Amino acid sequence: MTEQKTVTMQERDMQKVNVRQRVVKIAVQIMLYTFLVLMALIILFPFYFMLVSSVKSLAEYKEPIVSFAQTLWPRKVILYNYVEAFKTANLGRLFLNTMYVGIVSTLLSLVITVLTAFAFARLEFKGKNALFAALLATMMIPGELFTITNYATVSALHWKNTYTVLIVPFLVSVFYIYLLRQNFLQIPNELYLAAKVDGTSDLKYLWKVMIPLALPSLISITILKMMGAWNSYVWPRLVANDEAYHLITNGLRNAFTDAKGEVNIPVQMAAVAIVSFPLFLVFIFLRKYIMKGVSRSGIKG
Amino acid sequence: MKTRIVSLVLAIVMVMASLFTFAACNPNQQAGDVTEFNFDTETPVTITFYHTMGEALRTVLDKYIVEFNKLYPNITVEHKQVGGYDDVREQIKTEITVGDQPNIAYCYPDHVALYNVAQAVQTLDDLIASTETVTRADGTTEQLGLTQQQIDNFIDGYYNEGKQFGDGKMYTLPMSKSTEVLYYNKTFFDDHPDLKVPTTWDELEETCAKIKEIDPKSIPLGYDSEANWFITMCEQYGSPYTSATGEHFLFDNEVNRGFVAEFREWYKKGYVTTQEISGGYTSALFTKDPAEEGNCYMCIGSSAGANHQIPKNDDGSFKFEVGITSIPQVNAEAPKVISQGPSLCIFKKVNAQEVLASWLFVKFLTTTVDFQAEFGMTSGYVPVLENVTDNAVYAEELKHANGYEGLALLSTKVCLEQVDAYYTSPAFNGSSTARDEVGKLMQVCLTTSESDVAAAIKAAFEAAVAECEYQAD
Amino acid sequence: MVESKNSWKAWIYLSPAIVLLLVFTAWPIVNTVRMAFLENYSSMGAAGGITYQFGIGNFVQVLQYDKFITCLVNTMLLCVLTVPISTLLALIIAVCLNAIRPFQRLLQTIFFLPYVTNSIAIGMVFAAMFNMIGNNFGGENELIITAGIVNSVIEFFGGEPINWINAGSSYFHNMFVMVVYIVWNALPFKILVLLGGLQSVNKQYYEAAKVDGTSRLRTFTRITVPLLSPMIAYVVITGFIGGFKEYSSIVGIFGEDMGPTGDPRRLNTMVGFIYDSLSNHQGRASAAALILFGIIFIVTMINLYVSKKKTHY
Repeated sequence: MTEQKTVTMQERDMQKVNVRQRVVKIAVQIMLYTFLVLMALIILFPFYFMLVSSVKSLAEYKEPIVSFAQTLWPRKVILYNYVEAFKTANLGRLFLNTMYVGIVSTLLSLVITVLTAFAFARLEFKGKNALFAALLATMMIPGELFTITNYATVSALHWKNTYTVLIVPFLVSVFYIYLLRQNFLQIPNELYLAAKVDGTSDLKYLWKVMIPLALPSLISITILKMMGAWNSYVWPRLVANDEAYHLITNGLRNAFTDAKGEVNIPVQMAAVAIVSFPLFLVFIFLRKYIMKGVSRSGIKG
Repeated sequence: MKTRIVSLVLAIVMVMASLFTFAACNPNQQAGDVTEFNFDTETPVTITFYHTMGEALRTVLDKYIVEFNKLYPNITVEHKQVGGYDDVREQIKTEITVGDQPNIAYCYPDHVALYNVAQAVQTLDDLIASTETVTRADGTTEQLGLTQQQIDNFIDGYYNEGKQFGDGKMYTLPMSKSTEVLYYNKTFFDDHPDLKVPTTWDELEETCAKIKEIDPKSIPLGYDSEANWFITMCEQYGSPYTSATGEHFLFDNEVNRGFVAEFREWYKKGYVTTQEISGGYTSALFTKDPAEEGNCYMCIGSSAGANHQIPKNDDGSFKFEVGITSIPQVNAEAPKVISQGPSLCIFKKVNAQEVLASWLFVKFLTTTVDFQAEFGMTSGYVPVLENVTDNAVYAEELKHANGYEGLALLSTKVCLEQVDAYYTSPAFNGSSTARDEVGKLMQVCLTTSESDVAAAIKAAFEAAVAECEYQAD
Repeated sequence: MVESKNSWKAWIYLSPAIVLLLVFTAWPIVNTVRMAFLENYSSMGAAGGITYQFGIGNFVQVLQYDKFITCLVNTMLLCVLTVPISTLLALIIAVCLNAIRPFQRLLQTIFFLPYVTNSIAIGMVFAAMFNMIGNNFGGENELIITAGIVNSVIEFFGGEPINWINAGSSYFHNMFVMVVYIVWNALPFKILVLLGGLQSVNKQYYEAAKVDGTSRLRTFTRITVPLLSPMIAYVVITGFIGGFKEYSSIVGIFGEDMGPTGDPRRLNTMVGFIYDSLSNHQGRASAAALILFGIIFIVTMINLYVSKKKTHY
């Protein structure tokens, strides 16, 4: 009996403390959510502005602000801006170019990265460590340093205004090699030796065992590489000034600046929305891989 | 330790290998000017030609290449549109560094000066003077060089542009030319009889003031090219701009600061805008409906851009009639207008036959009246030959010049009337920087928000000279 | 055994990467150093047979060039402003995110969104937001055609519209817009890394702090920050490296003129300078690239040194 009573008393005390704690906790939680939601709204606002502006008519967009409701919500939704954007910036062509460059360079890059990472992770050869260290050291050098000479090199090779120039110079990424090598190293060596005993060839082993095991990393690399193609700006601008080889970002930046007289911002915003959409789509479906890849790379694209 | 040595050796080998590959790629620019003038009409030879022609012009070119091939079947002309003029320059520049330049290119004097840093351009003097005879496929013969008649047929100002490089040598032949003209809203001027189409800058200022009274929401004048404006003013005032020899950049002087300060006043009063300031070709403002805000009633732009100055409505009607006249002058008695438009230059090659073939083709394009006429009619550029009116079709066409659909022809007519007024500025390595810089300078000075305008203008001039010197150094 | 057997195989596997690295990485390094130390080197001149003297002339010229100094100052300023602001903000957001349960995933996703954007494209959105006038700007004859939302809001509250990025705008306002945009752009990565760090911190530390009745602020400065210090060091270093290479965000907002109309190149950066010199002055471009490398190297070393002293592993 008494034992029972003590327990209840303790419980009651605990409850008192709990109530106080809980009040504080709820207050803190409310503050946290308020802050986070506010920040989230700030983060989201540019996207919202883009979408809202993209469905306004030019006349409505230009009107002076009278009420917030008017700015934040279009009186009339006009989807024609999207059609206009597609035409003005020749987005169809830009999309195709970007997809082509993105897909081809991703595939080739994956092959090279896998082979190289495999050699560094599993094979033994002279100078392996020195070579790997040298590779890692190049990661410190800003890419702009390479650009000066690469520009001359691709000119000399007559690669300017070709797809090759947009693909080949960036096929090797030391970072991806590093990433994949680490992944390969985690796969027990015994598997490899066993395969050797069974007479499995290296390539078959790579294909049947290592690639499936390292799939998450490979997916991360694929996505980052595709995003890179989607976002690349400087290099294509330098070496592919022919509109036929423009990538999405180049076309986007220039299509509306040389328009006659005024910039039609709603149409421009529609174009930006069109360009941003595929990235969001990829993000929604492959969030996990992107975030995983990104947190390890620290690079954009 | 062993690994280290191996990797070191490996690294050295890599570096040597890459250096070697590049040394091998490096051009051996031993191709000098041609010294032999015997053109071989048998052996096939292919020449390449870079230009900026759009589709319509390429059709004309192709047509005359066929004609040319009737005379010289062994010459294959491959031509290619390489974007705009700057693209041609950039492309050739990188190609010169690897010894892979084309044979012929559209060029501006600045470009030639740049190519000459690498001594890549063929001088034409010996070719022009050559009296060698070439037998053509149709059995006729021609003199390899230019006859006196051919030289005389060129409009002098255009022909002499080829010698603007400070060494007295001839590097280019003119292809097609343009200048700046003043487009004005003829309907508006006719409706307001007290408005005078200006012939001098003083008159222009008066006209602007009056227009501003009639229509305060307008910007009376749009001037497309800030750089042309500056350079033309230098020329009209007779004040220094640049020099091909000695001290290059002479444009920072009192006269020039003076006119810039004056234009700044005009800009403040809302008389004028430019391409960079308005964010697009001012023809867009000129062809606007005059009822709209910010339209222009006058516009100074390229004579070759006449088709963009036609104020056509979507339904095919015209908003107003356009008039064209010479640009305003400082001294209407001694007019000066800028000479623009492409010339042709020939690049040195190890194979002299390529150079000779290129020369024959260049000569064909620049001295053939029919080609010049047809090219001029299609492009809106002015032919470079005085006797182009010999071409019956051309002479007939010119009669259709008017202020509506026939504006390009009207523009050509106005250009042909002022062939004596053309000037060119010296070309040297860095002259294009000077041009860019004075353009920017105009823009900066016109729009400056500094309270001490004189100081701001002075600073802008100094900055422009400093920039020119850094770039040319 | 394995070594000798596999050696040639390894080189075959490596060969595509090695060839590409030789051409597009190793050779550029060698060549950049070579060009940087040949006085006034230009590839046009080299093609014309001019030989160049070995010397440090390119470095001297670049460092004495006021536009390069402008680029240097802009770049440094952007780094110094955006890295601390974004790191601090990201840290606060990460800590808050870590303290909630419901909707954590959703909010985390929202905060990551700016990362999956095209920095030029969204730069155009920011430019539209801060826009003042569509065209015909400047001077007395300026016509306000399009007002961006930011100015609309300022006007709505009775303020005077500010010329943020158009012709005649001030450097201060230009920089303000750039800082806002870059911070917005930099947050996602930093939040991701810091939140990842927080989630792996051992909960026991916090339990102990709770028992001791340590205040929240104290918990934050005494426990959270020290435990997170490797992550903070990581985002600061990558932030600085990214900051020194700032380029496309400025193109996004100001276009390739790298400045407001009427004052092009005002906001140019080190990378922008290199690209500008690329086609005519390869020697100076190389010198500028080496200077950039030097700065990044030094700043990274300083960061590593400081974080080694301050970091608790």
